[in-house]
Amino acid sequence: MFRKVLIANRGEIALRVISACREMGIRTVAVYSEADRNSLHVRFADEAICIGPPRSSESYLNVPAVISAAEIADVDAIHPGYGLLSENANFAEVCRASNIKFIGPPPEVTRMMGEKSTARQTMKKAKVPILPGSDGVIENEGEALEWAKSVGYPVILKAVAGGGGRGMRICRTAEELPGLFNQASTEAANAFGNGDLYMEKFIERPRHIEFQVLADEHGNVMSLGERECSIQRRHQKLIEEAPSLMVTPKLREELGKTIKKSLENIGYWNAGTIEFLMDEDGKIYFIEMNTRIQVEHCVTEMVTGIDLVKAQLRIAAGEKLNAIVTGPVEIRGHAIECRINAEHPEKFTPSAGKITAFNVPGGNGVRVDTAQYSEGVVPPYYDSMIAKLICHGKDREEAMNKMQRALSQFVVQGIHTTIPLHQKIFADEEFRSGKFDTKFMERFLDRQKDSQA
Amino acid sequence: MMDGNKLNELRELVEFLKANDIAEFDMEQDDLKVRIKFAGEPAPAGGIDVAQLSRLMASAPAASVSAAAAAPVAAPVAASAPVEEALHEVKSPIVGTFYESPSPGAAPFVKIGDQVEVGQVLCIVEAMKLMNEIEADVAGEVVKRIATSGQPVEYGQPLFAIRAR
Repeated sequence: MFRKVLIANRGEIALRVISACREMGIRTVAVYSEADRNSLHVRFADEAICIGPPRSSESYLNVPAVISAAEIADVDAIHPGYGLLSENANFAEVCRASNIKFIGPPPEVTRMMGEKSTARQTMKKAKVPILPGSDGVIENEGEALEWAKSVGYPVILKAVAGGGGRGMRICRTAEELPGLFNQASTEAANAFGNGDLYMEKFIERPRHIEFQVLADEHGNVMSLGERECSIQRRHQKLIEEAPSLMVTPKLREELGKTIKKSLENIGYWNAGTIEFLMDEDGKIYFIEMNTRIQVEHCVTEMVTGIDLVKAQLRIAAGEKLNAIVTGPVEIRGHAIECRINAEHPEKFTPSAGKITAFNVPGGNGVRVDTAQYSEGVVPPYYDSMIAKLICHGKDREEAMNKMQRALSQFVVQGIHTTIPLHQKIFADEEFRSGKFDTKFMERFLDRQKDSQA
Repeated sequence: MMDGNKLNELRELVEFLKANDIAEFDMEQDDLKVRIKFAGEPAPAGGIDVAQLSRLMASAPAASVSAAAAAPVAAPVAASAPVEEALHEVKSPIVGTFYESPSPGAAPFVKIGDQVEVGQVLCIVEAMKLMNEIEADVAGEVVKRIATSGQPVEYGQPLFAIRAR
């Protein structure tokens, strides 16, 4: 097992990894920017090294600074957390060249799965269902019509060179396709200097469902079940659950087997998540893979009883999966996570500053992962998530009730947080029914506006 | 509840703190670690009676004002003495290992008492096998070398104190 690990991250995930290491007798090294001098991850690590000024690009994303810190602290391995350098294949390569174990997949695999179209092709070859679409650029309206016929309406035209909604058109019938094709192409040419378009099947009301995987460095892969992450605002997840009400045991088992084979093929190591969209008919399509531990890993931990961060450390140290997960994976009860952000609960404007009161709820089946504390400061330089509140109950109903109780006891003063927003969501009928999709937040916020009008 | 003796000792400690205008006082016992913050002026006119303080600390219970566990030991051992106001600290712009000479056995780049110009190389901080020359950001006299050769340093760590011209 590693003697010493450097955690190349900050906030709650840095503390999460430091805690797992401490429980395993591994010495920890925290790195921090000047803005994080008084952070809990710094305080609770065995050693701490300041690596730069507040800006991420000059500190947490500064590869030479992180590697240099790892060298002077003489660590065996680096855990990259999530975000920041965790999916940076370059960084993983530098670690390898510096003889420091990167806790994650090999750089080549990270690079392959990080490239969206390569990932799609890889999964397609492994018979993982992917979102149907054109094989690259569509030359003209005629081709567009043919592709749309094989993919099936509705379809979405997207700009090859861009994003942000520009050069995008949703098309529901063959009649409107040629016109929309030209519109999208012109818009793309104006916005990105390139009018090339490709096409994908469009799902009106998708659900976002993702599968957690673990793979050791000896070729063994296992699926730990799914998470439901449809409650999102502007593509940022707010609430996650495990299991998904839409995934039957049969689907879970079948998809688990398919995923396992696909990752064995590519030589995947360590933790990862495969993301899918589920359409209104319950059909599921691969969209992308995240080659790291995720924010919402906690809900999987609560229902399976498996510590994913410890699994990461043990896998990276060379242990085999069957020593880490010793029996069949069982899903017990239901877990829900709320991401608590330092934002105004209605305007969503960021709220940096000093926390003057911080009361964290507890109790049976209530878990809070946070690196904030009373008198702690939320700096303006990083993302706004300050805590994760996770509740586990014997079923979804109990988990929701615990969450409502826990939210009511989670007191944060001095800054705005999204706790009141979560309280409203948990009182909302559509959310409680479990019959929602990724457009839920739009409808919910409209309902809020209407009720205030 | 505390016994009578300990309570008296604590009272004496509190009186001492009040008399010396001390606003905040942390203390730990093993490997000793004291932090004192004065209420108003930087220090009372006559200075603190250190002998009295050490006698009180030896007998008083571990009265830690901040409920903190031991602070982490920074990988580099930072200097403890604060630098005089007139002195400018040259701080390391990178993480790495400090070397006072261009190579082992060679003479140091600068000695105490040397006059340096802006941009003059003071030392090397080695990071990832690259030797980075650290330059003076003010002109003046090198008064103190704060880091020691071979010592790991972090971003912002003081390396030299210069009395700027």
